[in-house]
Amino acid sequence: MIRYLVYLPLVVAGLGFEMTWLARASIAGAVPDPLLIFVMTVGLLHGSEEGALVGAGVGLLQDITTGVPLGLAMLANMCVGFAAGLGERFIYIESTWLPLAGAFALSGLRVGVWALAAHLVGLLQGPIPEVARVVVAAACYNAIIAIPIFLGFRYLDGALVRFREASR
Amino acid sequence: MFLDAVVRRRRFVVFAALCILALGVLTDQVRSPDKRRVGWIGVAVQAAVAPLATGLSRISDVVDREVAFVMEIGRLRTENARLTTEVARLREENARLHEAALEVARLRSLVGIKEQPYHTIAARVIGRDPSHWFNTLLVDRGAADGVRRNDPVITSDGLVGRVIETFGAWARVLLILDPRSAAGVLVGRSRDAGVAEGQGQPVLHVKYLSRDAEILPGDQVVTAGLGEIYPRGLPVGTVVGVSRTEGDLFQEALVRPGADLNHLEEMLILVGGGSQAAR
Repeated sequence: MIRYLVYLPLVVAGLGFEMTWLARASIAGAVPDPLLIFVMTVGLLHGSEEGALVGAGVGLLQDITTGVPLGLAMLANMCVGFAAGLGERFIYIESTWLPLAGAFALSGLRVGVWALAAHLVGLLQGPIPEVARVVVAAACYNAIIAIPIFLGFRYLDGALVRFREASR
Repeated sequence: MFLDAVVRRRRFVVFAALCILALGVLTDQVRSPDKRRVGWIGVAVQAAVAPLATGLSRISDVVDREVAFVMEIGRLRTENARLTTEVARLREENARLHEAALEVARLRSLVGIKEQPYHTIAARVIGRDPSHWFNTLLVDRGAADGVRRNDPVITSDGLVGRVIETFGAWARVLLILDPRSAAGVLVGRSRDAGVAEGQGQPVLHVKYLSRDAEILPGDQVVTAGLGEIYPRGLPVGTVVGVSRTEGDLFQEALVRPGADLNHLEEMLILVGGGSQAAR
């Protein structure tokens, strides 16, 4: 529980940054998404069930604060958390390249699910090459910022888990 | 037996349940008027994030201003001389237009045309939607300033969009490029009526234009005032292309918005500009 009490202000701060500073840092239609790295970290460290739940929660908050129809980021981030959690048992967590490769793959998954869901409900009519371009741009962008954010969240998560065990 | 299987595959059950929940929420949203309905929990979340966004936005404004000041100091002297001449010309033009406005007002009162009852308030952008395909902005004026849902938003260059949510001291503006936006417009000198729809791209698609209409790149587009939201005559943009396929009942025009929607900092909200019926 204490983990989530610490995570919540971090997520709110992340949402604030995404709406202001990061929204101005768009390259080829993609903006960096530190909350995706957060959801990926939770999935990798705590499994697919917790990853999906945290992803859905963070996604819903993103939907509320960014002005899109609710449910789009909720679905996309939930898939990200679940997919990250599926790799929990097979991935070597200490690998230097894990955050980079994970952020690249999961960003692509996120934008792909987001665009597919928006298309299915008739909200998105963009041409497929443009969707593909944004998927690749978002994947590259998040891969670049992934390593420091992943290491930071991982350190914080480890400290909170140790704190909880020590307080028992 | 069944419960055992559910427990063993709990994560997949949770995933499926969340998928159904998210798709249910999304379907409900798509059926609502602006394809978005946040409820009181959403308003509370936005009220928590908006002050933070305001603070961050102010910091970036200060940084941008200082950087621009240092970068542009050499250019300012030339710019100052040019602006002095421009001010003199505009003063003269302003005096002429003031006379013309008085004359129009006298003629309107003679003919009995009703004035549209709205006033403008300035607003600053404090947050943007970072997603590529949807276009909304958070501005620092809200219900407390008299802003209401469906109030039109403009800049000196043209139409920006309309307010879709207001709460306290903030409002959310749906830009005309958003796929959820549509506005009745008049195109070119022939004043043919069409509907300008956003598609999440840098240009608007004006649909349902008569096949016989003479529409050329460079034609100006203004709001028609036929719907319940935008008043008549607000500049929207300029035609950049026309598509007319053999066998189609209508032709379609591509319109580049007059306002620079990617770099908006300040804008004007026409308070009371949207129809009461549409609120």
